[in-house]
Amino acid sequence: MAILATSVHAADPAPQITIGTQEVGLSAGYLLPERLTKHHVTKQQGPAFMPSWMITLTDPIGDGWYRGQVSIGAEVVYIQFQEPVLTHGVGFNPKIKYTFVADNRIRPYVEFAGGPFWTDLGNKIPEESSELNFILTAGVGISYFVTSQASINVGYRFQHFSNAGTSYPNYGINSSLPFGGFSYFF
Amino acid sequence: MIRCSRLLTYGCAGLVVLLASGCSHWIELTDQATPPTPSQATIASDLRVPLLLETVHITQNGAPLATPPALERQVLGALETTQLFSQHFQSGYAQPAPNQAHVTIRLSMDNHVEPHAGEAAFRGFVIGASMFLLAPVISLDYDYGTEMALEVERWDGQTKQYTASSSGTAHYYLFGASPHVIDELKGQVTDTCLTSLLDQLVRDHTFYLADSSSQSESAIRTVSVGTRRPIADVHPVSTNTPASSP
Repeated sequence: MAILATSVHAADPAPQITIGTQEVGLSAGYLLPERLTKHHVTKQQGPAFMPSWMITLTDPIGDGWYRGQVSIGAEVVYIQFQEPVLTHGVGFNPKIKYTFVADNRIRPYVEFAGGPFWTDLGNKIPEESSELNFILTAGVGISYFVTSQASINVGYRFQHFSNAGTSYPNYGINSSLPFGGFSYFF
Repeated sequence: MIRCSRLLTYGCAGLVVLLASGCSHWIELTDQATPPTPSQATIASDLRVPLLLETVHITQNGAPLATPPALERQVLGALETTQLFSQHFQSGYAQPAPNQAHVTIRLSMDNHVEPHAGEAAFRGFVIGASMFLLAPVISLDYDYGTEMALEVERWDGQTKQYTASSSGTAHYYLFGASPHVIDELKGQVTDTCLTSLLDQLVRDHTFYLADSSSQSESAIRTVSVGTRRPIADVHPVSTNTPASSP
């Protein structure tokens, strides 16, 4: 029945990512502070771990360098704030990603994510007053496919979390997060 | 307390149904007028000639595609099921003898794919923004259609063309999205279209019989020799050559 199916050849490193292809991955990075205003004084930093799941929604769209595919999914973010005090944060973020597929093996991408984020750093710093927050993430990265089903990824994210005005002060915390990781596609 | 446990039971059942439906998919074929299996011709074996599948050309949204060998095999297999031809050859493999009368077939497929990418991206965004709560409610669509043209050339150079088209849509929920859903749609559309083509071919089977170039297309040919006498005394010498044998 599935005669027209695109076959995956074991020897071919070019990934065969189509609608419904799923991706599970793990990324890790180190969070660094971005103090954008005079209200931001905290130098929060620490390691971050982000296991994720995604599913491809589209076949490649467009022509030329911007030809790409859209996928959506979710990730769990865990951050261990080692500065200014040892605290923790964990969040669940739905995310959307656009992957440029002009090249077979090296595929840049942009991604956006957002969701609830709990951290006990919240009421220990002058910028944030509550433990329940919301995190927003925008990032870019590059996936290098080592096989047709596995890639290693490096990238950079900008993260912001705040409590959406549910309590004050609410200046928010901004961070840079360079990261690396790997993904498996099936 | 009992009421609370009932509510909990109904809630769990509803959640299971909702999650299960979130993984579902269904396929709608637009043209379902053709029979599910291709017709078969019943022809005496000495009237059949070999067939050569010469080319299978595929384009998708106007761009040429490499023909998957599996598709060539599928086409050849479907032609075999019609029992119209004595042998089935594929270009690039064994060929009929040069002086052997045979029928040459050329198939072209023009596939149209509409994955509704923008819509899927938007709906995906909404599903993500709802923390996936809307995943069992918002469906995604993928359209696929094909137009096939079959050119059949007889040993004496006469050609006939047959065309057929078929299309369908796969509807699926986010957690039911899978390459297999799309493959299933493509397979069903291709099968339906091919069946329609072969049905036309079978209905036109007299064109491909070994003696069809020298004889009329009458199904029963009768030659009677005799003198006109009263009916009771007729002794015909007749030959009934049915075009199809039981």
